[in-house]
Amino acid sequence: MARKTVFIDFSKCIECRACEVACEREHNGRSFINVFEWQEMAAMALNCRHCENAPCVEVCPTNALYRDEDGAVLLAPQKCIGCLMCGIVCPFGIPELDSLNKIMMKCDLCAHRRAEGKLPACVETCPTDALLFGDFNDIQRMRREKFTEKAIESTKEGEKISLMGL
Amino acid sequence: MEEKLTPVVCPYCGVGCRLYIKTLDGYPTGIEYAEDIPSISNEKGKLCPKGNAILEYLLARDRLKKPLKAKEEGKFVEISWNEAIREVAERLKEYSKDDPDAMMFFGSARTYNEPNYLIQKLARMLGTNNVDHCARLCHSSTVTGLKAVFGAGAMTNTFRDIEEANVIFIIGHNFAETHPVGFRYVIKAKERGAKVIVADPRFTRTAWFADIYLQHYPGTDIALLNGLIHVIIKEGLYDEDFVRRRCTGFEELAKIVEKFTPEYVEEITGVPAELIVQAARTFATAGKGVITWAMGITQHTHGHDNVRLAATLSAICGYQGREGCGVSPMRGQNNVQGACDLGVLPNVFPGYQAVTDPEKRKFFEEFWGVSLSGEIGLTVIEAAHAIEKGKVRAYYVMGENPVISDANTNHVLKALRKLEFMVVQDIVPTPTMEFADIVLPAAAMPENEGSLTNTERRVQWSFKAINPPGEARPDWWIISEIGKAVGFAGEGAKGFSYTSPEEVLREINACTPQYRGITPERLKKNLAGIHWPCPSEDHPGTRVLYRDRFLTSDGLAHLAAVDYKGPAELPDEEYPFILTTVRYVGHYHTLTMTGRSRSLVKRWPEPLAEIHPEDAEKLGITTGDWVKIETRRGVYPIRAKVTRSVKKGVIAVPWHWGANVLTNDALDPVSKIPETKVCACRVVKITEEEARELIKAVPKVIPEVEVVKG
Repeated sequence: MARKTVFIDFSKCIECRACEVACEREHNGRSFINVFEWQEMAAMALNCRHCENAPCVEVCPTNALYRDEDGAVLLAPQKCIGCLMCGIVCPFGIPELDSLNKIMMKCDLCAHRRAEGKLPACVETCPTDALLFGDFNDIQRMRREKFTEKAIESTKEGEKISLMGL
Repeated sequence: MEEKLTPVVCPYCGVGCRLYIKTLDGYPTGIEYAEDIPSISNEKGKLCPKGNAILEYLLARDRLKKPLKAKEEGKFVEISWNEAIREVAERLKEYSKDDPDAMMFFGSARTYNEPNYLIQKLARMLGTNNVDHCARLCHSSTVTGLKAVFGAGAMTNTFRDIEEANVIFIIGHNFAETHPVGFRYVIKAKERGAKVIVADPRFTRTAWFADIYLQHYPGTDIALLNGLIHVIIKEGLYDEDFVRRRCTGFEELAKIVEKFTPEYVEEITGVPAELIVQAARTFATAGKGVITWAMGITQHTHGHDNVRLAATLSAICGYQGREGCGVSPMRGQNNVQGACDLGVLPNVFPGYQAVTDPEKRKFFEEFWGVSLSGEIGLTVIEAAHAIEKGKVRAYYVMGENPVISDANTNHVLKALRKLEFMVVQDIVPTPTMEFADIVLPAAAMPENEGSLTNTERRVQWSFKAINPPGEARPDWWIISEIGKAVGFAGEGAKGFSYTSPEEVLREINACTPQYRGITPERLKKNLAGIHWPCPSEDHPGTRVLYRDRFLTSDGLAHLAAVDYKGPAELPDEEYPFILTTVRYVGHYHTLTMTGRSRSLVKRWPEPLAEIHPEDAEKLGITTGDWVKIETRRGVYPIRAKVTRSVKKGVIAVPWHWGANVLTNDALDPVSKIPETKVCACRVVKITEEEARELIKAVPKVIPEVEVVKG
């Protein structure tokens, strides 16, 4: 099973927060991705990492959290009892409590859009491609290739190679 | 039940992004990204936060749904369309009979080409050239400046050229925040290895991506540009062949920049001399370069000269008439280019044909079948002054909001109160509407159709996706009805009897040389649109301007030799800080649309005045404190944000919420743009109670309009 996820390229994020607004539109007024500013010098978006060994899935007492075909960690609302354990064990602080329905809620990588063959809304809208959706290893290979190409170019110009990736 | 996807153009900025609106039986249910339409300006259907939220303002609860008539200031009664049109037409007819120049018409960069063409046609057929729009406040200096150097006031290239450039010089332009989707192409170029130079008084999000960042003081652009040109000429890095073949005025330029040594420029601008040298070398030796700018260059009393110098810098490096090169003044509204092209300016007919040129005037006199005025009309800011002198007595405002957008708000308010008659045609209540006598409810862009022109000169057709609320009507329909009611009942171009926007566009094709081949049929078939100039129906459109010659009379680029002059108002003992205005990525201009978008207001709830930590410490200000900013023209209460992104001595304030009560309405002598980017101010810490009291005096961006019974 190829695991597809949202890859975040911090070096390209312009903090426009289009991903947040798109996510909010697709999820009834609730955004599951957030953009944070770092020392007024850079920004980074953060959403659920849909971890390979997801603590939230392991700890869920009712099996409300499960993995779908793309490898996304989804929440079955009928099974959730709102015990908050998933939120407590998540190292990124992702699952939140929906206090109206008294169950947890989290990023579903836009399950409804993936069902129609579309990308998650945050990725689809990201103006600078700071968010990419795909198999992690494929994306890494692509990044390596880009870096190598640029490194060769830079060497030709006799310049120092930047290790920042850009 | 039928779900439908309709391709529209985003109603916000000049990038002109395509998207689909999803509807169910004519009611909007969502949006979809236009990733399947090839070669559009927003590659892969990318959208910024505003584009993602467009349904929210369309569904705003306070949309105007019925024509209104004022009972007293700010109180209205509902009337029928018949009554409204009759009353407006009768009043306009009266003014047209006694003194046509007592009327002032505002076109709009926020509606399609067709209504813009019609409003200037109506104004001119009524006998006045007093017609202008908000381009006066943003890129009028670009239009005059580029016309002086290259012969036409528009971006010379497209986004693809930004992507293909080897160096991108971004000056006075917070590209990443003002045009996030356009900034995509800068990032792509950078990924390829292109260098990015950013010059801005603020360390903006755009500056995060700079290889070289020049932080100059607001209003010192001429010195900075002259400094760069000085180094390029002195080190022989300019394109000698290009200058010899295609430019004129190089000797004067070389003479005037002589004294702008990097050291002298460092004194004026505060940018280290070695950075100026490094930037000049990087820019001139890249082989392919683009310069982009926006309000930081144009909104100055020397905006015209700033633009001419930026164009000169591009020309001496030979960065014109080729792919991957050019100058890109980035337009703010999705149709500000179109409104300019179609003559919503006091000095030109559609297609930049001067009203003072007897031959052009004769053409339009025959075309429209009336005699026309050959006198240049009033600009936006001049009109406000003319009201005070009693020269202008009536305003027709289509989709504009001068109370928030014009410099020196208090003066504008005083002027609007003196008007005899004012018509406001808009989609929602605005602070300007409070002074209106008649209010005409308009359909928003996705609620009707038409063509519009983005910053790259790309003309696109936007289709009707949803029905307008209540009795709101398309702008082209409203103006045609008024035209007919005034009595212009002639056939074809001689009257106003249109049945569709397509008919209007065909008339535009017939009288605007640049748009001749851009027919409604072609636009509807090709969703990616056509770049003007497009002189005939089989012409593919023009991506890069000036391949062989410039559009000046002699075909050469007229290089500008300009000596340094500072801003109109500099800090002194009484007002020790420099005030500059900025904007946020999630808000748009006067907040008429984004202020009604829940998801945007949630993220960008209020303005924050940026102040340098050392200044803040002296004044005892910490982030979140209330301060009042005072200038010679007004007082503005705002909360402070202490940040190193501004230079010491500079205060940056977002203008969306009405900060123009502070700004200076001193004008550029050529372009008549007010200097909203620099003035002197002082800052005082105040309590929250004091702030609440002061806020009452600032016009409310989202006013509550009272509709009373007959």
